[in-house]
Amino acid sequence: MGDSQYSFSLTTFSPSGKLVQIEYALMAVGSGQTSLGIKAANGVVIATEKKLPSILVDETSVQKIQSLTPNIGVVYSGMGPDFRVLVRKSRKQAQQYYRLYKEQIPVTQLVRETAAVMQEFTQSGGVRPFGVSLLVAGFDADGPQLYQVDPSGSYFSWKASAMGKNVSNAKSFLEKRYTDDMELDDAVHTAILTLKEGFEGQISSKNIEIGIIGTDRNFRVLTPSEVDDYLGEVE
Amino acid sequence: MECVFGMVGNGFAVVVADTSAVNSILVHKSNEDKIMILDSHKLMGTSGEHGDRVQFTEYVQKNVALYLFRNGIPLTTAATANFTRNELATALRKNPYSVNILLAGYDKETGPSLYYIDYIATFHKIEKGAFGYGSYFSLSMMDRHYHSGMSLEEAVDLVDKCILEIRTRLVVAPPNFVIKIVDKDGAREYAWRESIKDTGVSSA
Repeated sequence: MGDSQYSFSLTTFSPSGKLVQIEYALMAVGSGQTSLGIKAANGVVIATEKKLPSILVDETSVQKIQSLTPNIGVVYSGMGPDFRVLVRKSRKQAQQYYRLYKEQIPVTQLVRETAAVMQEFTQSGGVRPFGVSLLVAGFDADGPQLYQVDPSGSYFSWKASAMGKNVSNAKSFLEKRYTDDMELDDAVHTAILTLKEGFEGQISSKNIEIGIIGTDRNFRVLTPSEVDDYLGEVE
Repeated sequence: MECVFGMVGNGFAVVVADTSAVNSILVHKSNEDKIMILDSHKLMGTSGEHGDRVQFTEYVQKNVALYLFRNGIPLTTAATANFTRNELATALRKNPYSVNILLAGYDKETGPSLYYIDYIATFHKIEKGAFGYGSYFSLSMMDRHYHSGMSLEEAVDLVDKCILEIRTRLVVAPPNFVIKIVDKDGAREYAWRESIKDTGVSSA
């Protein structure tokens, strides 16, 4: 990227050594809807609020949690359209890897390549950083994994993490509740309870989205009725 | 006239190649090693144009190393074989490499494996295979004597049978061969079979 007049980067250092554009991008993430992820002993769960701007919006047409490969899923906090672009790019990268090696891309490598894309947009001409942080959940030969990727391009592996509006409350809640030997089902319950903590209004299968991946290594988004079942168990 | 053949045994794979470097009627040398060790647990026996052979095998070797450096884990044999095939296929309709490859490797999860990749990017996973005029003889010998799960001794015995057959029956048979194996302990040279020793330059 970066044509004609914009061969210089718009993300430039401040005198204090910060990249303000990235800070602002993180603020965009911080004001986005809460999302979280929990790595269990036998799988990973990611979840997010799905607050739509009006009751007239058809919620079945909106899917915030997306799969990048059959065994890797992703959720975000921040700007939806930026998320769509990243999902597209990551999916292509995963397929290019497969074309080269006829093997599924390991989770760490897909995370690294996605992070590299995000970093590019902090150092290329005429573009701005992505206004999203991603939570990538995957299951491969190294077991269940959960990664967070920030607009700067840094990525971290987490046992459990949250992003968006309610991040500090959610994280302290997770810190209290997390155990290393948690099973996937317990993790889903904990995820719901964490979302509930900062939820404005009545939580239901229509305004949250949950994605899981287990030992079957198949990432999928739970159907509204499955979400209802979990919600019922939690109440 | 270049001979490359190989087979999979019990927990190992063996690749054999002749070691003559020939240009028309001239033999440059009889101790040219045509089986490149790609990494700790992979071998690539190649026949074909000398320039292409060296260029391409080094290219694959360096890409295998780069993957290891970047990602901290080695490529599997299958992934390496598919990468190799892809490179040959991409170059095929532009500036093809005239190299035939037998790629052998050992992976902890899947054990030993052997891949047949020819110069037009034909790709097969095989238990035994061969390239060149020598293949007429070595394939027949392997068809007769090979069985799956052979021990190293049995396999080397079969290799020697093949080499003998090539030496007796091929009109311009290469005099020397090198045998390399790969198993759980790694890829290494096993033996040479020389009927003509290349003498060094005599001191002045």
